[in-house]
Amino acid sequence: MKRLKLAALWLLLLLLTACGQASAPGWDTMEPIGHMDLSYAEQFRVDYYPENLALITIGGTDEYLLVPEGGSTPEGLGQEIRVLHQPLDSIYLASSSAMDLFLRAEALEQVTMTSTDAAGWTIPEIAAQVESGTIRYVGKYSAPDYEAVVSEECKLAVENTMIYHCPETKEQLEALGIPVLVERSSYEPHPLGRVEWIKLYGLLTGHPDTAERFFGESEEKLLALEDAAPTGKTASFFYITSSGYANVRKPGDYISEMIRLAGGIYLFQEDQAVEDNALSTVNLPLENFYASAREADILIYNSTVDGELETLEDLLKKSPLLGDFKAVETGQVWCTNQNMFQQVSATADMIGDLHTVLTGEDQPLHFLHRLT
Amino acid sequence: MRRTVAAFGVLALVLALLLVLNLNMGSVSVPPGRVLEILMGHGRSDTAGKIVFTIRLPRLIAAAVLGGALAVAGFLLQTFFANPIAGPFVLGISSGSKLTVALSMIWCLSAGRTMSSAGMILSAFLGAATAMGLILLISGRVRKMSVLVICGVMIGYICSAVTDFAVTFADDANIVNLHNWSRGSFSGMSWSSVRAMLPVAGIALILSFLLSKPMSAYQMGEQYARNLGVDLRKFRVALILLSSVLSACVTAFAGPISFLGVAAPHLMKRLLGTAKPILMIPACFLGGAGFCLLCDLLARTLFAPTELSISTVTAVFGAPIVICMMVARGRERVA
Repeated sequence: MKRLKLAALWLLLLLLTACGQASAPGWDTMEPIGHMDLSYAEQFRVDYYPENLALITIGGTDEYLLVPEGGSTPEGLGQEIRVLHQPLDSIYLASSSAMDLFLRAEALEQVTMTSTDAAGWTIPEIAAQVESGTIRYVGKYSAPDYEAVVSEECKLAVENTMIYHCPETKEQLEALGIPVLVERSSYEPHPLGRVEWIKLYGLLTGHPDTAERFFGESEEKLLALEDAAPTGKTASFFYITSSGYANVRKPGDYISEMIRLAGGIYLFQEDQAVEDNALSTVNLPLENFYASAREADILIYNSTVDGELETLEDLLKKSPLLGDFKAVETGQVWCTNQNMFQQVSATADMIGDLHTVLTGEDQPLHFLHRLT
Repeated sequence: MRRTVAAFGVLALVLALLLVLNLNMGSVSVPPGRVLEILMGHGRSDTAGKIVFTIRLPRLIAAAVLGGALAVAGFLLQTFFANPIAGPFVLGISSGSKLTVALSMIWCLSAGRTMSSAGMILSAFLGAATAMGLILLISGRVRKMSVLVICGVMIGYICSAVTDFAVTFADDANIVNLHNWSRGSFSGMSWSSVRAMLPVAGIALILSFLLSKPMSAYQMGEQYARNLGVDLRKFRVALILLSSVLSACVTAFAGPISFLGVAAPHLMKRLLGTAKPILMIPACFLGGAGFCLLCDLLARTLFAPTELSISTVTAVFGAPIVICMMVARGRERVA
């Protein structure tokens, strides 16, 4: 009888252990049940797992497991996968181009810190929040005020690829227990690929539907432009560096793609001086630039680095050689407005502006202005 | 004797005060009692604990150790070359480091690879070691110290020229970040950095102290030193090696820091009223540590959250000291 009781007890213990094991699935046994539908973005992917888990992979190498509020981290998760626990209600957003997408996903309230001060913002809603201190400026991305970041109980730091130049900053944030997500939207070849990152930010912040809706509207705007006939006009996008080189975007870069989608032909498609490497821009000697771009129909000056130009005189001060260019002679020189790079969400509208410039239509422009 | 004791007392007191200030001051207010608790090992995982133990403490230790190391390196070279403006970087150490860091940044990032901070430190050390090796080779072939200084400056120019050449083809982002690196910073100092720098700097500092006696003899002249049994060849190698290791350590972990290595030894000479190495070496360490702690405190708090590079602050304090020293020296010569 005693033996029977012991056997029954043993069996009961065995059953309970098995049940316990069944209720805590290991990561190794989990299989994806779906993935985020991405039409243009190539630099990230999201795989959905049971229990509302989502595995985010960026650049094919960086992995993050998004765990919903109240959820638990599966056992056996490798150390290389960083865990993000929702709600991510205090985000340090060092990547200025991502801020606009957070705004459009209606997730700005979850951003509490930025590495761009109020004067550096061209988007009024964001500038106001930084000015008022609602979003706290915590210093440059390369040397943030770590004390301020920690005191804000930061749950996630979103950096861009500039952080690779100062790895100790990323390492210090991680040492402080703050997961760092390096967004690679600037490597997206398609302009809408950059906008599609809004889906990731929507997922992270619990606003997936708003993000999805916004992206859908952007895609519709672009599809409407696709019906327009190509103009056959050539365009160059550049700026003159402090050492006298012409910094141009590489073919295949999202800017060149924007020009193509707008109906133009981007120069430097087959330029032998344009080396194939991981950088999205290249410095061309003025001689090469002169040879390639002299006959370009349209010149677009990139104002991001050294500010907007207003007149052709300003342009010629950068390099008198530009006076020989066809586009200068025909008055087809344009300059980007400072909001062009920060306002990622308006990519479809920017392509619309480029289309207006290429067709010569008399339409108001929001992101470009002509140099007179 | 009294003056020496008083001077060391003042140095120790000032250093202790600066350590306390650096531990307690920052953009987040942490009560002193809480700071003490954290130092004793309580509550290091909460916000205040992270701020004090993970951010401030490794940073102030790094600033003290590296500041002291740089000052000692400066003293060694000023004594060796009998030149009051000889600094730790006169032998091209920082230029060598800057070159390898620039090449690493440009090559890694254009190949789409990322580099860890350990990689950056190793890269900087490699550059410094290469410059150091060249100087050692040259030192075996020249007799005059002035020639060695010139060779060191020339090596610096060569490294700078190659760096400029590489930077010509670099992305603007690389140029900006290289410029920021070359101004020096203690931001992001971690316990792993402190654990790596302490043995290197510690051993080099101890060995430098052990060189006090031959250095004293050397100060009286080469012939005098030779008569006292100092092997000048070995002494020269040891001095160059130690000063280079100390400078390389600073450059590798914090980037080049200007003026500290030149100004601190002069301040200590004025304070002690003597140039005896057995007193100057520990005094330079304490003085350099204090000077660096003060400059770092100002760099991170003056315009918080924006942080100034350390060289910006050391130049503001250090350059006037060097100017005053040169003017005073000029007056002494006229008198």
